[in-house]
Amino acid sequence: MDGLNFDVPAGTVYGLLGANGAGKTTTLRMILGLVRPDQGYATVDEIRTDVDPTSVKMRIGFVSATDGVYPWLSVREMLLYFADLYRVPPETAQTRLRELSHLMRIDSLLQRRAGELSTGQRQRVTLVRGLIHDPPVMLLDEPTRGLDVVGVKTIFQYIETLRTMGKSVVISTHRLDEAERLCDRFGLLHQGRLRHEGPIESLRRQTGHQHLVEMFFEMIEQ
Amino acid sequence: MSMGTGETVNDRGSIPTATTSLGYARWRRLCKKELLETLRDRRTLGTLLVMPLLVYPLLSMALNRFVLSAGVTTSAYRVGVPSEEQGNLIKPILDPQSNPPPPAVREVFQDQIASFELFVVDSRTNETAIGDEPTSALLRGDIDVWINNVNAPERRDSTDWQPDGSLRQIQIVTREGDPNGQAARQILLSRLQWWEIKQFGGSRIAVDVVTVGEPSQSSVLASIIPLVLVLMTITGAVYPAIDLTAGERERGTMEALMASPVQPFALLTAKYVAVIAVAMLTAIVNLAAMFITLSVSGLLQTITGQDGLALFTATAIIALLGLFATFFAAVLLSLTSYARSFKEAQAYLIPVMLLSITPAMISLLPGVSLAGALAVVPLINMVLLTQAVLEGNIPPVEATLVVLSTMGYAAAALAVAAKLFGTEAVTRSGGVSVAATFRRPVQPRDRPTPAMAAFVVAMLIPIYFVGSSVLIRQVGRRSSELTNGGSENIVGQIGLQITSMTWSAAALAVIFGGVPLLVALAGRCRLRTTYRIESFATVTLAATLLIGCGAWTMAHEAFVLFANVLGGLDVDRITRMQSMLEAWTMIPPWIILVCLALTPAIVEELCFRGFLFSALRDVLTPWKTILVTSVLFGLFHVLTGNALLVERFVPTTLLGLLIGWVAYRTGSVVPGMVLHFAHNALLTMVGHYHRRITWFGTDFDNQTHLPLPWLIGGVTCVAAGMVVIRLLTQKTTKIP
Repeated sequence: MDGLNFDVPAGTVYGLLGANGAGKTTTLRMILGLVRPDQGYATVDEIRTDVDPTSVKMRIGFVSATDGVYPWLSVREMLLYFADLYRVPPETAQTRLRELSHLMRIDSLLQRRAGELSTGQRQRVTLVRGLIHDPPVMLLDEPTRGLDVVGVKTIFQYIETLRTMGKSVVISTHRLDEAERLCDRFGLLHQGRLRHEGPIESLRRQTGHQHLVEMFFEMIEQ
Repeated sequence: MSMGTGETVNDRGSIPTATTSLGYARWRRLCKKELLETLRDRRTLGTLLVMPLLVYPLLSMALNRFVLSAGVTTSAYRVGVPSEEQGNLIKPILDPQSNPPPPAVREVFQDQIASFELFVVDSRTNETAIGDEPTSALLRGDIDVWINNVNAPERRDSTDWQPDGSLRQIQIVTREGDPNGQAARQILLSRLQWWEIKQFGGSRIAVDVVTVGEPSQSSVLASIIPLVLVLMTITGAVYPAIDLTAGERERGTMEALMASPVQPFALLTAKYVAVIAVAMLTAIVNLAAMFITLSVSGLLQTITGQDGLALFTATAIIALLGLFATFFAAVLLSLTSYARSFKEAQAYLIPVMLLSITPAMISLLPGVSLAGALAVVPLINMVLLTQAVLEGNIPPVEATLVVLSTMGYAAAALAVAAKLFGTEAVTRSGGVSVAATFRRPVQPRDRPTPAMAAFVVAMLIPIYFVGSSVLIRQVGRRSSELTNGGSENIVGQIGLQITSMTWSAAALAVIFGGVPLLVALAGRCRLRTTYRIESFATVTLAATLLIGCGAWTMAHEAFVLFANVLGGLDVDRITRMQSMLEAWTMIPPWIILVCLALTPAIVEELCFRGFLFSALRDVLTPWKTILVTSVLFGLFHVLTGNALLVERFVPTTLLGLLIGWVAYRTGSVVPGMVLHFAHNALLTMVGHYHRRITWFGTDFDNQTHLPLPWLIGGVTCVAAGMVVIRLLTQKTTKIP
């Protein structure tokens, strides 16, 4: 990865776009501190990943399409477990759980074993899991991968909710159509480099193309 | 948030900065989650309950058959009788020709019917075929069973005698816990029954069964139990170990875990607790099933030599189980943490299971016992300790070593597991090689990790033990050579004392200096911050010196008190101490100071208040760090080669607490060195000059309490020094 530089203000959604292997997931992993960059750092709430990675992790919610659940725990147990991992005080965790399960319509699932959930139910539980510690920053790694129409709609609603909550959201995806509808700003990644960066108008000026798809193909052909 | 060189935009400040410690209550909840997850899993329950319920009854049937047939195929049982006449009365009953067993029995044993040989053992006349009294003949194992026919010829008038002149009552005596005797008795009783049925059509003869002698712990138990423990703890630990580590990957929960701010070590210790719990549960269920089936089938007595297990043995077995589980859970976790999938984990574990049975087999070889270097060989030492415990003969030094070294190995394995756990989720780029895991980190770090500290402690225990044993043996040999030389070779003895003192100091420097240093270098730790060689307010030095001057009186008192609590030192130890003190008076004081005060002060402080302190400080609160390093400090002083100097534990740990506090307050390792030096120097110099120290009216020796004025002075020094340090470091020093 090289030449990576972008800001995500609160309440905005940033789309990290690129083909498979462009470095989207690696970028998210570097922000999370799971991959150590040779150089550079990310900053969350003025805390740098290279200085205090643990404090940074506490401020990030991470949701991936490949997320699984603990089949033998109840949904409630699993969510409270993650609240503990993020050191949320137990009372706060209960309140958060109540609010979020209402928001994501999983109230009726809380006592169920996570292993018994349907794909859609599991997805909603995972989305709640990412928010349980009320992080200012949300990273979504290819959130719509492998989902049906209903699942994709849930994700769209979720991201809108995050925006109204005032979160800084970063989404990695290769679905350009989805990104164009969802994101406020974009970063076009190719072969580990950030080729274009900014809101859609700025990208249009930079590239002379109207749509992300055209910009994307031009970038690849260069 | 921002990436690259960008500035921060979001400033909420509602989330506190990460504190280093997770908190005990939270960690307990993590453990609970792991336990719930694994105990609710039907596959865990399968290995936990179904296996033992099925396996043992089957096993005991096979064993029963084996024992019975083994009893039949051995050479004839030796039966002792009091006289020739009585022998003649018994003979027709024992002889398979005149008293043939029922066809069914013959069929089962394929006509291999046990035979009996009769010996006359007469206590009254001493004219015996074997020798003397029946009881001693039994106890010696000359005969398997002693039949005392109550209706002896001289008691023909007694009511025991049947009118037709046959037997009415017999007494069968066997040795307590002798499997041969019990088998012989069993067969004898059944022959008697056949005979009775044939003669009278029913039971007529009253049988009095007597056992003599003390129940002896049979070695059968001692050789079976360790194997069962090994197998059962492994069986119990395998599934949860795989499920809680490699399983995280398969379920897709690993990424979310690694994205959370919790340290992998904390996660892994929670998993470790769960695996130990399940392993112990499995082993206990297995043992219970085994003992129940054995006692129901009547084999327990044959194996243990008594009707049940002694409470002590049962408790000891549970404790040993804990030790086995501690070890295996850590080893298995380190392997399963490396595996990427269930299948891969299983593939790794099969050879481990096979390998772990081999040491258990080796320990069954004759002549192999818990002594010397075997006490620190992993697994073999545990199996040997189990045997020793079951035989009721526990060597204290070796037993302590086994426990300590096993815990050390477990800690090292756990450290490796923590390092491996989650690496896959982090790199994701396919295979993670073992070499990459142990490769030196690219970036230098300020402090060693807790895993590195665990590794250092694990390495120090066996190395220090072997080192100090060799040294003590060498000195012992030289010493006896000098004594055997005839004349009282005082010069030689002093020379030897000097040599041993220097070698000890050198060994201390090499082991306690070298091991942490190598680990620090391998882990690319900055030495200044790792060893906490930091600047400090010079005034604190004076205060530390003051504490050091007072501390030795308290250490001495603690030693004397604790030694008394332990029931005083044995005469041998006191004599050795006195002769050592005598020798000290003749050794130049500077040698004593360099070897016993300066070297330990520098080396031990760098190790305990430097390396270990800075490593643990990352995950523990200050007080816990001080406590843990002090207890380790105390334990290493207890562990010296050939003897456990338990009485040194309390004073050394107390000293460790004091130095730890100073090291924490001042933020540097150096004041602690000064304190340590002052303490050791004064203690050894009191030893060196003990003849001249009489002006306080004390005849100083290692056993007596100090006079009150000395004590008061010492306590005042310590208190004053502590107050000064507390005041000086309150605001000025940045506490790391």
